[in-house]
Amino acid sequence: MTSVRVHTHPAVSILLAWMVLIPGGIAFAQEEDAGTYGEREKKLEWSGNLDAKYALFHLDMRSPFLALQFPGARPSSSYLSQYRLEPYLNAAYRSGDVGFVLKTHATYYSDSDTRVDLFEAYGTYSPSFNTTMQAGKRVYSWGKGYAFNPVGFVNSVKDPENPELAQAGLLSANVEYLKSFQSTALQSIAITAVLIPPAMLPNSRYGEMEGVGLALKAYALLWDTDIEVMTLQSEDKPRSYGLDFARNLQENVEVHGEFSYAQGVQRFSVRDGMLTRGDRDASTYLVGLRFLSASNTTIIAEYFHNDVGLNKGEYEEYSAFVLNGTTSPIAAVLQQTLATQQKYFKGSTLMQEYLYLKVIQPEPFDWLYFTPSVFMIYNLEDKSALLSASLSCKPSTNVEFLLWPTVLVGSPMTEYGGKQLQERVEFWLRVYY
Amino acid sequence: MKTFLGLILTVLAAFTLMAQDANTLLKEVDDNLMPDSYEAYRKLVNEEPDGSKKEFTFYTVKKGKDKIAMLYLLPASEKGRSTLRLGDNMWLFIPSANKPIRITSLQSVVGGVFNNADLMQLEYSVEYDAVFAEGTATEYVLDLKAKSRGVAYERLKMWITKGKKVLRKVEAYSASNMLIKTLEFKDDKNYGGGLNRPSVIETTSPLYKGYRSFMIYQSIKKRQFPDEVFTLTYMNRLGELR
Repeated sequence: MTSVRVHTHPAVSILLAWMVLIPGGIAFAQEEDAGTYGEREKKLEWSGNLDAKYALFHLDMRSPFLALQFPGARPSSSYLSQYRLEPYLNAAYRSGDVGFVLKTHATYYSDSDTRVDLFEAYGTYSPSFNTTMQAGKRVYSWGKGYAFNPVGFVNSVKDPENPELAQAGLLSANVEYLKSFQSTALQSIAITAVLIPPAMLPNSRYGEMEGVGLALKAYALLWDTDIEVMTLQSEDKPRSYGLDFARNLQENVEVHGEFSYAQGVQRFSVRDGMLTRGDRDASTYLVGLRFLSASNTTIIAEYFHNDVGLNKGEYEEYSAFVLNGTTSPIAAVLQQTLATQQKYFKGSTLMQEYLYLKVIQPEPFDWLYFTPSVFMIYNLEDKSALLSASLSCKPSTNVEFLLWPTVLVGSPMTEYGGKQLQERVEFWLRVYY
Repeated sequence: MKTFLGLILTVLAAFTLMAQDANTLLKEVDDNLMPDSYEAYRKLVNEEPDGSKKEFTFYTVKKGKDKIAMLYLLPASEKGRSTLRLGDNMWLFIPSANKPIRITSLQSVVGGVFNNADLMQLEYSVEYDAVFAEGTATEYVLDLKAKSRGVAYERLKMWITKGKKVLRKVEAYSASNMLIKTLEFKDDKNYGGGLNRPSVIETTSPLYKGYRSFMIYQSIKKRQFPDEVFTLTYMNRLGELR
């Protein structure tokens, strides 16, 4: 007789246990809700918006990153423009406890250069008010930070220049359970379990079973404070643990924070002109506040420590590496530099210490439906900064105009001062439907 | 001396009784305006000096004294947004950002004359203490003082009909006693279930000369909800209640 031993990934074991425990909650909730709600109608709703975006760029022709952006031939003019369309089309269907959500996005530059993205496509089943199950591609937004989310283990990569922009989701399945209490201390809890499929094997549509990941999050509204603890357990990614909170200190002051600890994070830097990998445990955190003044000005301030980011010396060495690669007469060296930058050094916050500051003044001088704001991402290590303003006007229903100038400041070897872009002005026309 | 003390105690007792009566009346006004737990469809129309209008439609659910949630149905630019208020805590959910953020009751989400506190109004008697002011032949007048600093308006002055105790007008004042806005309650309508109340609240503000806002209650229905509806996790599912 042959015995077969089955190895079960710990993540799967936890999820199985969760699935066994949940039905009790479902049964309880169904009993509680019986007779309270009438038959709900089937509904299919379409929505979306079309963004027409015109942008002017002023380039720094000396920046080595310019050669990476235009590896074929550098532009002869330091002023470039771009015109693109971005339609968003969303559909949401619901019939009783069952629903379906579809969110698509396209970027159109020309007939020959158009990209369509499936941001979200997931089915949802809510057997009770307490429980929801979803499967498909879905956006998660873990964390309380506005511009950065150290605990966003399952989040899409956020753009700190536009944190409210819709992003592509994660292929996953999840179960969410929530419960309220008649208590002044603990008012509600929510538990979320997310099952993440493994990374696909090279040139294949299959992933190894052991690579299945599990992310868990527990939320509580405790003494008027939002508190969350979360973890990510995966063979493909570093094991991560996180904690976040948000609370109103006064009626016009909110504070929030996030802390994450990840084991064995791959950290890349350049040493002596060579790409170097050094694994380490990383503690990344953020503290922030949101303040509303008597004159209706909102201020958002956040300090972000990125433990796996480059320090000042490492960034300078990386910049020198890019400079050498882009000035090399050998084409293969430029290609290798480009590949290294794309794979290991992509993003707008590559270093360790950042300060984010945003000031929003809705309807100044009693100009209704006009909202100007300014924000800054300041690199505390190399003293470079990205300064930007956003002037939004909604003169009529479902129409928004946005003027969005941006300036990057800093010396040539700094993160923002060394970028290929010195100034940018975008003009958006957004029509909602 | 005893007579003097007695007089003071009598006056104090009279004031306390008057305050109690005023707060009882305020509670009656609340009861006449809304059921304890309900769902409502409301339209907000912001009218500008040139006559142009901006309209918003909301689906609102409320339970008990301190739980209220609101889903934006129209226009398309705001559709899917939702706000949740639990006592002094308030959150805003933006679909594109896909997460609730803490906001304050003093901010305005829709622009125009209304702020969040106007749209997410709890019962007056929850947020204010009332005393009688000099009334008219047909109306009681109450002076309301905020119980906490988290309330949008430090002081309110309220006109209530003597017969059916229906709210007719509210003036909202800042801490410096400046008139911020005036709300007029008009066009009584029978919503069924014994609820007969003004269907339109017209708001003007000396800070926004020439602008007017109308809050039109299209339907109000008694309905019970589980507490779970009033949680952060449920904010993106509010539409399932409709």
